[in-house]
Amino acid sequence: MPKCTINGKEVEVPQGASIIEAFKAMGEDICHYCWHPGLSVAGVCRLCMVQIEGIPKLQIACNTEVKDGMVITNQSEQVKDTVKWGLDFHLINHPLDCPICDQAGECGLQDQYMQYGKYDPEMAEKKVKKHKVVDLGPTIVLDSERCILCSRCVRFTEEVSQTNELGIFNRGDRSEIGTVDGKPLDNNYSLNTVDICPVGALTSKDFRFRQRVWYLKDSDSICPGCSTGCNVKVYFNEEGLWRVKPRYNAEVNGHWMCDVGRDTYKYVNKRARLLKVRAGQAEYWEDKEVFSAVMEAGRDLRESAEKNPNSVAVVMTGQYTNEEFKEFFDFAAGELKLTRFYHWMNDPAHAEDFDGLLYRGDKNPNTNGLKAEAKTHGGFKSFEDLQANLGGLETILVLGPENQSQFDDIKEKVEMFGKAKKVIWLTACGSEEINALRAPSVQIPMKTYIEKAGSFTNYKGLVQEFKRGTTIVEDALTLSEVVTLFRGHELDYKNRPQPLGGTKKNHFTEIRGQL
Amino acid sequence: MAVQETKLLTEHYDKNEFQGLQGYLKFGGYEDLKKALKMQPQAVIDEVKASGLRGRGGAGFPTGVKWGFLPKNNEDRYLLCNADEGEPGTFKDRMMMERAPHQLIEGMIISAFAVNSKKSYIYIRGEYDDSIAIVAKAIKEAYEAGFLGKNILGSGFDHDMDVYKGAGAYICGEETGMISSLEGFKGQPKLKPPFPAIQGYLKKPTIVNNVETLAAVKYIIRDGAQAYRKYGTEKSPGTKLFSVSGNVMRPGNYEVPLGTSLKDLIYEYCGGLRPGRKLKAVIPGGSSAPVLTAEEAMKVNMDYESLAQAGSMLGSGAVIVIDDSNCMVDLLDVTLHFYHHESCGQCTPCREGTGWISKITHSIKNGEGTVKDIDLIKAVSEHMMGKTICALSDAAAMPAISFVTKFRDEFEYFVKEGRSKVKEVAHA
Amino acid sequence: MSETAFELSKEGAEFVKKELSRYETKHSAIIPALYQVQKENGWVPPAAINYLAQLMELPESHINEVFMFYTMFNKVPTGKLHIQVCTNISCSMNGGRELANKLCKHFNVKPGEVSADGKVTVSKVECLGSCDTAPMMQVNDRYVENLDFDKALRALKEMGV
Repeated sequence: MPKCTINGKEVEVPQGASIIEAFKAMGEDICHYCWHPGLSVAGVCRLCMVQIEGIPKLQIACNTEVKDGMVITNQSEQVKDTVKWGLDFHLINHPLDCPICDQAGECGLQDQYMQYGKYDPEMAEKKVKKHKVVDLGPTIVLDSERCILCSRCVRFTEEVSQTNELGIFNRGDRSEIGTVDGKPLDNNYSLNTVDICPVGALTSKDFRFRQRVWYLKDSDSICPGCSTGCNVKVYFNEEGLWRVKPRYNAEVNGHWMCDVGRDTYKYVNKRARLLKVRAGQAEYWEDKEVFSAVMEAGRDLRESAEKNPNSVAVVMTGQYTNEEFKEFFDFAAGELKLTRFYHWMNDPAHAEDFDGLLYRGDKNPNTNGLKAEAKTHGGFKSFEDLQANLGGLETILVLGPENQSQFDDIKEKVEMFGKAKKVIWLTACGSEEINALRAPSVQIPMKTYIEKAGSFTNYKGLVQEFKRGTTIVEDALTLSEVVTLFRGHELDYKNRPQPLGGTKKNHFTEIRGQL
Repeated sequence: MAVQETKLLTEHYDKNEFQGLQGYLKFGGYEDLKKALKMQPQAVIDEVKASGLRGRGGAGFPTGVKWGFLPKNNEDRYLLCNADEGEPGTFKDRMMMERAPHQLIEGMIISAFAVNSKKSYIYIRGEYDDSIAIVAKAIKEAYEAGFLGKNILGSGFDHDMDVYKGAGAYICGEETGMISSLEGFKGQPKLKPPFPAIQGYLKKPTIVNNVETLAAVKYIIRDGAQAYRKYGTEKSPGTKLFSVSGNVMRPGNYEVPLGTSLKDLIYEYCGGLRPGRKLKAVIPGGSSAPVLTAEEAMKVNMDYESLAQAGSMLGSGAVIVIDDSNCMVDLLDVTLHFYHHESCGQCTPCREGTGWISKITHSIKNGEGTVKDIDLIKAVSEHMMGKTICALSDAAAMPAISFVTKFRDEFEYFVKEGRSKVKEVAHA
Repeated sequence: MSETAFELSKEGAEFVKKELSRYETKHSAIIPALYQVQKENGWVPPAAINYLAQLMELPESHINEVFMFYTMFNKVPTGKLHIQVCTNISCSMNGGRELANKLCKHFNVKPGEVSADGKVTVSKVECLGSCDTAPMMQVNDRYVENLDFDKALRALKEMGV
C-alpha cells in the first residue's frame, strides 16, 4: 500500500487511491466541487490542485494516483493563488442570489469562498444570462445561472439511476444543464441530484423557500420506508421535520436514498398526526386524554385475555423497533398468554421485489425483527384463520402501519377488523379509512421513527441502531410505553422527552403556511 | 527574386490528375506502400523515428516517439487522422486533401502497418465538404485497387479506412476532443492520463496524427530518414507547408524547409506587403501563437526551436502577416471572440476566462475600457494557463498576453481616447 | 411537449439505421443522423431529437447534447441558402465583417435569422480554412472566395437569390 506525505503528515492509502481520496482519508481540507466519491471522476472544476514535489506543474488531486513516496501539499502559495482565481472564475457569472437561494448556509461556493476566496471581485462586465426557475420534472427546479457545471447531476443520472434524463447542452459559457422535452427528470432517485449539487442550481420543489438551513438541527436515523434501511439524516426544528437526506453507509445504501423515503417526513409532522386518543366508531369519534384512556383500554384487554386468551387477536406490522417488539411480546404472549398473532404485510407477493438500486417491495423497516421476535413466541397464524374466527373475537389489537399509503388493502382490513367486538388500533396518524371502523374502537397515538431510539433489522438481517431525533407530539407513545400503561403502571411523566420549545412567530411562517 | 519552393510533398499538386487514382499511380503512387509492406513494422517505426519527423498539426511532438508509446501486444489499436484543421490561418490540410487524397491514404496505410492498426478514420471538419467527397472517393478507389481491405497486396496485412464528417467545433482539433467526437459524443477533450496511445478511441490504444504528418511518412519511406533530414534543421528536420495569409501580396500554402527565415517567407515567397504598407506584426503559428512584433519577426527562423526561443511557437505553421493598417485591439477582439465561441465549456477557468477576456477586450474596443482592464486581461490570461484539461485555455491566453504586452500603446490609446490609434474599427 | 411530430423519409430512416452499424459504436451515428434531419428539413426541430432517440434507441439527452454542441446544426429555421461569412482574423483584416454586415442589410436580415421569404440566412462564422482567399463565405456546402460585395451578390444570384 503506497505511503505519501500530505501537508507534512504521512498517510498510507489503498493501491490505486487518488490524491483527493488520500486527503479525505486524512481529514485534510481540499477545495473541490466536481469530485464525488460515489461518481466517476470528471476533473472539470480544476480546484483540487496540489503541488507534488518534483512536478513543476500543479496537478488535480482527483485524477492523480498516489504513488509511493509522493510529497504533496495544497498549502503552497502557488496552489493558494490558483485556488483563489479558480473560485473567482466560478463566480464571475454566478448571480448574487444568496438572499433568495435555498442553498445558502450549506453552499459549496459560500463555504469555500470564505476559506480560499479573493474577496475583491474584478469582473465588471455583463454576466451571462441563463434560464432561471426551469421545471425539470415533478420534484426539481433548475436555476441555470447558479449552476457551476460540475456535471455531478449528469453523471448521477448516467451512472447511478441510469435513467439519462440530464445532459449539458450548448458550449462554452452558454452551457446549461437540462432535460429534453418529453423526458423530464422523473425517477425514484432524482432528489439525490439536489443533495449532490454543490450550489443552489437544483432545488427540491418540496423544500423550496420553506426554511433556512441554519434554523435546522439534524440527527442520524434509519429510513422506515422499506426493508433496505437506508441510513438517513433528519432535519428538524420546533416546527417539525423538514426534510430527510441520505447518510453514507458503505454496506447498506452507499451515498444515496430513494425519493419515496424522503417523503416519510410528511407523516411525522403535527398536522398529519393523532394528538390524542380517539375513541368511538364510524361517524362518531371523540378525543380523550392519552394516558388514562390507554390505561383503560389496557384494563379491558387484560380482562378479555384473562377470560379467554383466544378471544384477543393481535395484528402486527413490521414497523416498530426490535426493543419495542420484545417488550410487547413479553407482555402479550408472556403475561397475557395470547396466541393469536397475525402478520400484516403490504403486498406479500411483492415483498422480495427489488429495483436494483435501493428500493424494496417490503415497505416495512423491521419485518425481520418482527418475525424473529414472533418466532420465539409461537409464530404467526394466517389471515384465513383470523377471518374464520372473527365472530368469536372480543378484541383486535392492531399495531401500525404508519405508511398507510403503501398498504393497499387497508379498507378491506378495516372492514374485517370492524367485525370484532372491540378494536384497539395503534397508529401515529390515524386516517379516514381507520375512522370508518364499525366496531367500538380506540385509536392510540404512536411515536414515529424520529421520536424514539431503537433498532431495525433490515432485509439482510443487519441490525441498525438509531437515536431519538426530536419529539413532535408530546402525548404520543412508543410501543413500550403502551405496554407499560396496558400493564396498569404509570409512566415517568416528568422525564418523558419534550418537543423543542416555542415556535418563532414570523411573517414568513404565515405566508408559506404551517408545516 | 522569386524563390522556388521545396516541393517534396507538393511536387505534383499542380497536376489535376494527381487527385484520382490513375494520375496518382502515374507519379509513383502506392510504390512506397509496396516498399513498406516488405519491411518489418518496427523498421518502419524506426525509420520515422530516425527522420525526426515532428507532428505537423500544432504540437510538434516527434511522430516516431508517439508511435512507440503504443503497447507492444496484439490489442486492437486505431490510427486516426486529424483533418479538423480549425486553427485560424491554417488551410494546408484542405489543399492536401483536395489535391492529393491518395497521398494521405498511402501515408496512412504505411503508418497503420507500422503500428499494427487494422482500422483508421480520417476525421474531416464538417465545413470541408469538398475534401470529404474527394477523400471518400479516393478511399473507394483504393479499396477497388486492393490497397485497402483484406490482405493488402498479398502482404497479409488487413486495413480498413473510413471518413467521418465533423460538425463545426474547433475543439475537435484537440486529439482527445476529436476522439470524443468520433465516439459520438460532444467533442470534449478527455482527462490525461490515460494518454491516447494507451487508452484512446473506445478506450483502445490510439494514435492521432495530422494530415501533413501522415503524408510525410510516405516520403520518409521512399527516400529514407537521412534524405529527409537533408531538409530543415537538426531539431526540426524536413519540409513544412506554411499557410500564409493576412496582408501579403501572394497569400497561399508554401512548402519550404523548416528553418527558412520568416523574412524570406514573407518577402521572397509571398511577395511582401501591399504597396505603401509597413510590417507591424506577424502571428507565426496560427492564432494561438503569441504575436511577434515586426522587429522580432525579421529575426526569426521558421522552426520549432527558434520560434520557441523567440517566445512564440511554430504551431500549425499558419503565418498571419499584419501590416500597419490594422488596429491590434481590434484584432485581439476578433481572436478572443473565436476562443470564447469555441471553448467546449468543461473546465471552469477556460469556460469563464475566455468569456471574461473577450468581454474586457470588447469593452475597450467600445471605448468603455479602463487602464486597469489592460492589466486585468493579462492577469486573467495568466491564471487561465496550465490549469485545464486541454490547451484551448492557453491558446486563448497566449495571444491575449502577447498583444497587450507588445502593443500596449494601442490599448492605452484606446482606453484614453475611446477610439483606435489606427483606424475606424468594424464591429462584428 | 413538442407540438409537431417529426419523421424522416423512408430513405432517411434507412440511412440512419445503416449508419448505426457502420461505426464501432452506435453513438457515432448521431452526427450523420442529425445531418440527415437537416438535409430533409433545413434545420433540426426539438421533435427530431425525440424521433431520433426512438429510431436509434439512444437516450434523448445524448442526442440533444451532440446537437446543441456543434455549430453546423441549425437550431432555428434556416434559409434555403445559408450564407456563412467568415469573420475570423485573416478575413477580418480583409473586410470580412463589413461584407457580412452589408449582406445582412441587403437581404434585410439580422445575423443568424432567416429572411421573411425563407430564402436566406446570413451568419457570421469562424475560420473556414480558406484564409488566402479572404474575404470569403460558405453558401450551403460551397466555398465562394476572393470576394467583394458585388462578387458575392453575383455568386448568390447564380445560386438563386
